[in-house]
Amino acid sequence: MRRIISILLLGIIALGITLSLAKIPFGTPKTKVGRYYIDKGVEETGATNIVTSVVVNYRAFDTLGEVTVLFIAAIGLGAVLTTGRRKKPERKIEPASLVLYTGCRFLFPLILLFGAYIFVHGHLTPGGGFQGGAIVASAFVLTYLGCRERRISERGSKLAESLGGLIFVIVGLVGLAVGGYFLMNFLPKGIPNFLFSAGIIPILYIVIGVKVGSELAGIIDNLIEESE
Amino acid sequence: MVNPVLLIAVPLGLAFAIPLFGFISQKLEKYIPPVAMLFNLIVSLSLIPKVLEQPIVVSIGGFPPPFCINLVAGPVGVLFSAIIALVGFLVSIYALDYIKEGATEKYHMLYLLLLTGATGVVLTGDIFNLFVFFEILCISSYALVAYLGNRAGIESAVKYLIQGAIGSSLVLIGVALLYGLFGTLNMADIARNIDSVSPISVFVPLVLLITGLGIEGAIFPLNAWLPDAHSSAPSSISAILSGIAIEVGIYAVARVIFTVFGASSIFLFLVLLGLLTLLVGEMSAFSQKNIKRLLAYSSIGQIGLIVFALGIATSYGVVGGLFQIISHSLSKALLFLAVGYMIYRTGSMDISTLDGMGKRMPFTSLAFTIGAFSLVGLPPFVGFPSKFLIVRAALAKEEVLFTVLIALVLLGTVIEGAYFFRVIQTLYFKGKRVSPNKREEAPIAALIPIGILMILIIVIGVYPRLVTDILNSAASELLNRIGYIKGVLG
Repeated sequence: MRRIISILLLGIIALGITLSLAKIPFGTPKTKVGRYYIDKGVEETGATNIVTSVVVNYRAFDTLGEVTVLFIAAIGLGAVLTTGRRKKPERKIEPASLVLYTGCRFLFPLILLFGAYIFVHGHLTPGGGFQGGAIVASAFVLTYLGCRERRISERGSKLAESLGGLIFVIVGLVGLAVGGYFLMNFLPKGIPNFLFSAGIIPILYIVIGVKVGSELAGIIDNLIEESE
Repeated sequence: MVNPVLLIAVPLGLAFAIPLFGFISQKLEKYIPPVAMLFNLIVSLSLIPKVLEQPIVVSIGGFPPPFCINLVAGPVGVLFSAIIALVGFLVSIYALDYIKEGATEKYHMLYLLLLTGATGVVLTGDIFNLFVFFEILCISSYALVAYLGNRAGIESAVKYLIQGAIGSSLVLIGVALLYGLFGTLNMADIARNIDSVSPISVFVPLVLLITGLGIEGAIFPLNAWLPDAHSSAPSSISAILSGIAIEVGIYAVARVIFTVFGASSIFLFLVLLGLLTLLVGEMSAFSQKNIKRLLAYSSIGQIGLIVFALGIATSYGVVGGLFQIISHSLSKALLFLAVGYMIYRTGSMDISTLDGMGKRMPFTSLAFTIGAFSLVGLPPFVGFPSKFLIVRAALAKEEVLFTVLIALVLLGTVIEGAYFFRVIQTLYFKGKRVSPNKREEAPIAALIPIGILMILIIVIGVYPRLVTDILNSAASELLNRIGYIKGVLG
């Protein structure tokens, strides 16, 4: 009985969403805000990656919020695991095989470099702070697999997270002081397609990349400690 | 003029900076939330005279709306941000001494971020930005509910997390459908174009948004998470969740219905839903033996009353609903703060263990009594003028239906009175085991916020004129969609 009711309800919701979706003009240039971003994006923000110009300039305030959401998830997990932690049973860590150990040590700087490349070039090529940060965090996961006795410095990651968030807010406040608008792109936009262009966008993406990287690495670190 | 964006940017920046202050001295950390909230309180109060003339619209990034995100600091937004800052400030002083164990640094960061999220929700004029701030508010409250790390805390946090996450996804789908239909996320811009599409295609996003936001607003039947979450969180967090988080949820529902959709056809539905929430909440509260669960269920009842009043959708009704939000924020925060140290002293949440508290903790018991009297709606406390306005609004409708409904609301108030008087009776007139000399009052850091809340409840109760200006113009902002749209888009 319960199952039938659930299926019926799901059917009704699906029907409603379909009816609503049917009215949306997909693929047509009707969406006015989107059209504006495509037409004016490069000129107004200096970023050739339109997605970046929306994420880090037009809607940078949302991005600040999203960065905060990830930050809350990371510290929330930390808070719950810290208070709920029982006595750690002493367990011997089995060392990884030589191949894994050497491979991790070899790849670690390369992955970091690649991650940094992704978030530094966020305004020019596909990718950006979040993607670059995730790649940076993957380097730390690899280290945890290969060099099992290593841990990221808690102090360092805390510093990176806090400074990252703080710099984001301060860049916004400087915009408010200089131009009268919070998060205004107050730096010169430069010539599109050059690395040093698009004003505050690269700065914000570097900050986001470092912050996301250290948060995701911190989450993994917390979970590993808990499972041991 | 102070830019309203500082109400969000400053607490957010300070929250990020808490670990940096921690590198200087661990003791500094806990003073950051009170400083941030004091700043917000002063800025909000200083903005009130400005916004009474006309709402302040701030674009972010320097592009014209609807191409950027904009904040709308109208009377409603500033009223709510002032309440959030006031209650947040008082509760953070209480927490100075109350929160000693666990990851205190993370507690203070999450606490400040929760309040930042709530402020963002009430000030934003962009529907996706509303979703983002709503996520900040919700996710930090999940973590804070589990803060004590005991079984009950984790279990209720997981329940809350699951229901909240479903609600958030519904909101996100609703926002996506709206963007698909209108090609814009600006609330005023959507509101301007809402009549240009067929009602059936806007109905689905409306339902999704009300359901999703209603989960945080704890409207029946979406409130299964609330009693557990509010009762197993630390008392300072219960005060914030009951005094601020659910009110912000109700604000979001009201903003979506009144301003974005202008859905006047569902007002009656809202009234009935509110009444149902009220009766269910009060009747469940009546049968509780756990004091914090009792307060949590009473919050559901009060939310029902607020939804009922907003659903009347006349000027009186909305003023009454907003007034009830103020009165509930102050009274429920006071009740949870008072109960926090009573539980701390007895080590149990059972109502029967509170006997003799009137002698052991006279000031805290007095605070509880005032909070309870105010919620029930006795003069001269703040609950009286707010409930009076709601009754008057319902009678001013001059319809038989509303007269019957308000009678049922008053029945709910009678139930409310019954269970609160039972608790007060336990506090003062039961238990002779404790000798009267043995006093164990709460520490001074807790007595100050409790005292300030008591004074506010009495002062606003005696001089309701202190808040009527802002309430009247807030109500007209909610009821006058055209004015809102003109104010934002020109």
